[in-house]
Amino acid sequence: MPLKKIMHVEDDESIRTVAEIALTDLAGFELLSCDSGQSALAQAAEFAPQLILLDVMMPQMDGLQTLAALRQLPATEHTPVVFMTAKIQQSEKQQYLDAGAIAVIDKPFDPMQLGETLHQLYNQQPDLN
Amino acid sequence: MQQPQIPEYEKERLLALLDASLLDTVAETRFDRLTQLVQQCLDTEIVLISLIDSKRQWFKSRQGLDVCETGRDISFCGHAILDSSIFEVSDASTDPRFADNPLVTEAPHIRFYAGAPLTINNQRIGTLCVIDSTSRQLTAKERLILRNFADAVEQEIADRLQEQAHQRLAASELMHRSVLEGTRIGTWQWNIQTGETVFNERWAEIVGYTLDELAPIDINTWLGFAHPDDLAESGKLLEQHFAGQLPFYDCKCRMKHKNGQWVWVHDRGRVVSWTGDGKPLMMYGTHADVTEQKMAELELQASRDQFKNLLANIPGMVYQYQQWPDGKAAFPYTSDNIKNIYGVTAEQVKQDSTFLFDKIHPDDLDGLAQSIDKSAKHLSLWQHQYRICQENKQPTWLSGRATPERMADGSTLWHGYIEDITAIKLHYLELERVNTALKITQQRLDTASENALIGFWQASLKTGELWWSPVIYQIFGFSETVNPSVELFKSTLHPQDAEQVFKSEQQALKTGVHDVVHRIVRPDGTIRWVHELAKMLPPQENPELIMVGSVQDVTERMQLQQMKDQFISTVSHELRTPLTAISGALGILLSGKLAEFDPKVSKLLNIAHGNSNRLQHLINDLLDIEKLTAGKVQLNMEVLSLQPQLKLALSNLQPYALEYKVTLVLEPGPTQLQIVADSQRLQQILANLLSNAIKFSGSGKTVSLSAAINEDKVRVSVQDQGSGIPPEFQPRLFERFAQADGSNRGHKGGTGLGLAISKGLLAQMNGHIGFQTKEGVGTTFYFELPQVSATISDSSNH
Repeated sequence: MPLKKIMHVEDDESIRTVAEIALTDLAGFELLSCDSGQSALAQAAEFAPQLILLDVMMPQMDGLQTLAALRQLPATEHTPVVFMTAKIQQSEKQQYLDAGAIAVIDKPFDPMQLGETLHQLYNQQPDLN
Repeated sequence: MQQPQIPEYEKERLLALLDASLLDTVAETRFDRLTQLVQQCLDTEIVLISLIDSKRQWFKSRQGLDVCETGRDISFCGHAILDSSIFEVSDASTDPRFADNPLVTEAPHIRFYAGAPLTINNQRIGTLCVIDSTSRQLTAKERLILRNFADAVEQEIADRLQEQAHQRLAASELMHRSVLEGTRIGTWQWNIQTGETVFNERWAEIVGYTLDELAPIDINTWLGFAHPDDLAESGKLLEQHFAGQLPFYDCKCRMKHKNGQWVWVHDRGRVVSWTGDGKPLMMYGTHADVTEQKMAELELQASRDQFKNLLANIPGMVYQYQQWPDGKAAFPYTSDNIKNIYGVTAEQVKQDSTFLFDKIHPDDLDGLAQSIDKSAKHLSLWQHQYRICQENKQPTWLSGRATPERMADGSTLWHGYIEDITAIKLHYLELERVNTALKITQQRLDTASENALIGFWQASLKTGELWWSPVIYQIFGFSETVNPSVELFKSTLHPQDAEQVFKSEQQALKTGVHDVVHRIVRPDGTIRWVHELAKMLPPQENPELIMVGSVQDVTERMQLQQMKDQFISTVSHELRTPLTAISGALGILLSGKLAEFDPKVSKLLNIAHGNSNRLQHLINDLLDIEKLTAGKVQLNMEVLSLQPQLKLALSNLQPYALEYKVTLVLEPGPTQLQIVADSQRLQQILANLLSNAIKFSGSGKTVSLSAAINEDKVRVSVQDQGSGIPPEFQPRLFERFAQADGSNRGHKGGTGLGLAISKGLLAQMNGHIGFQTKEGVGTTFYFELPQVSATISDSSNH
């Protein structure tokens, strides 16, 4: 099944807006934008995303905690997660991959390329079914 | 019978008799002739020259009698010598003195006796006597004849004595001459009053002449040969002898030999006669050639002087010290340096040196005495250091060393050496002081090490034994009563770091170096960071697998590092988050997919987007520089085929080149080259060099990329057709924020960090960067990385 439904968790509203335009208007995805980990957890089951785009640095519940929590939900137990981070340090990136992310996208990202990148990452995944 | 009396001067008389040397000698014609004449002239039966010895009368000459001696007690002559006149007995048989004398009653039946005393040296030593067996009386004339003959006998005795004396003298002279000749001694006689002088042949020989050659000889002959320097001494000695102050004139002086050399002569003599008014008259003496002896003496003296000089130059004193059981002590011999050491002369201590003990420092006296007693008792080497005090001086430190020897009288004699070691002693005291100061410094250092919390340890990986210095107990939070072991150490390791430590230990077995930073968990649960640095010898040389190392508590440093990391992470996040929104929004707008804009709006959007990109690069570069400086760039080194990497870089930079209207060219070259590098960082370097080349080439120019083999390395070059790099800028080319012209910055773009980052990255990838430039022609930047051989690349997964 081609990638259609993406959940984006990001506390920064500007970035949420840019990403929303890039992924919906330009790339044509069905997008659920959440401003926190808690919000994402609350809506994950209902939305049932095919891919989750997760910011790392968020207040209260950071990316890693959100990921761990999402893995507890049946709806997102196996959903591929891509982290987006402004942290450039390699050791940190490795930490996210170790935690189960399929990729880490650096901020700033190219909004015109983002959709294509996510398509490719999603398609590289082994068939979960 | 009346025995003859013994005269008053009998002793002198007997001496005179002995001096006459007549007793018990053979008969002599000179006396016998006279007695025969007396016999004939006086017509007597017996004539005798009788000598009265102490107990007998002995006949030097006899006529008419066979016996040669009779007892003095029965002698007639014993009576005759009692008076100077002739003693006459006319008829002994009627004379009461002789009537019963056996010489009267028996043979020769004396009746008549007449004896004239013989006087020699004023003593009546005997008689010339006549004897008959019939009574008789001498006439006056006969008495005179007898006296005259007695005088003749006396004369003969005197003459005989004279002759004997002459003979003795001749014999003596002969003997002396022989001795002198045998001893090669020259002789001289000197008449002091006239200067007349006689030498023997040998005297002349000593100076290489014959007597004839020296003639005429007088005292000036000697004066001419003598060494001028010695004449004064000789004259002085002569005067002393003449004045009776010296029993002999005795002098050693030099005389000039014919061959020109000086010979040493021992000149000895004495005055043998004096003038009536007491002046010296004749002097006899000898000359002995003592050149060899003198030379030996001079050599000995020279040798002694040399020895003395030698001793004088030795800093200490060479000595013999003798100590008797009664406590008496002396220095039988010391070199002159005793003056410098004890302040006394050798003479002053030759007989008694006990007074020197007063000079010993009171604190050292007992120790010194004990050391001497001990050495004397066991005859063991004496070695001691002590102080002596001299007036107005600081105490002097002396060091002595001597070997003892027991003497026959029970004393002990040491042969040794004493030197002044004050300077050395002061030096040592200074050293001790410095050492003490050093110890204090060391203690401070120890304290500093405690403050820095560096401890030291030694472990055997084989036996598990471990030793810790005190600081380690503190670092690990143990009390010092705990017995450390490798097992105990392992139990302190933070679970997440245990494997890292184990790996480092395994590495040490190969490399000999154990270098790891890890966490430990203290017994109270606190976590500390420690840096272990240790060395070990290879296992084949180190069977116990001993490792020696240090451990430093680096918790604070690690905490600081973590804070710094946190800061960088935060800054990069906080800067990028707004930038993400800005550049994302601008990117969408510029794509034109949402709306069409007025060209002026589009231009402004482009400016905003370009500068947001620059800001993004700047942040990335700053973080890179920070990481390179901290040595924290993590590289993913892998074997890479070079050609695809170059193509990728060119395609990445193509849009930029188009923007600057610059043609990018990949030069033909080896296509199979492989290198080991981090691909992402390699692209970063290539992008830096290519973008620089594009920026500085100018419109219509070409930037070419090429690769080649340079020895065992691969060289990648980026060549531009720019204006070249000004010489004054070249040295700063790889510095941070280095740009040739500040004004170019805005125009050309870039952060000024690219080359510094590229250089740092290449260094971390075992490569290096360089350039060649020519103003007006262009610049070539190149970098080199190790080439991978075909074998490795074949077995590689890449």
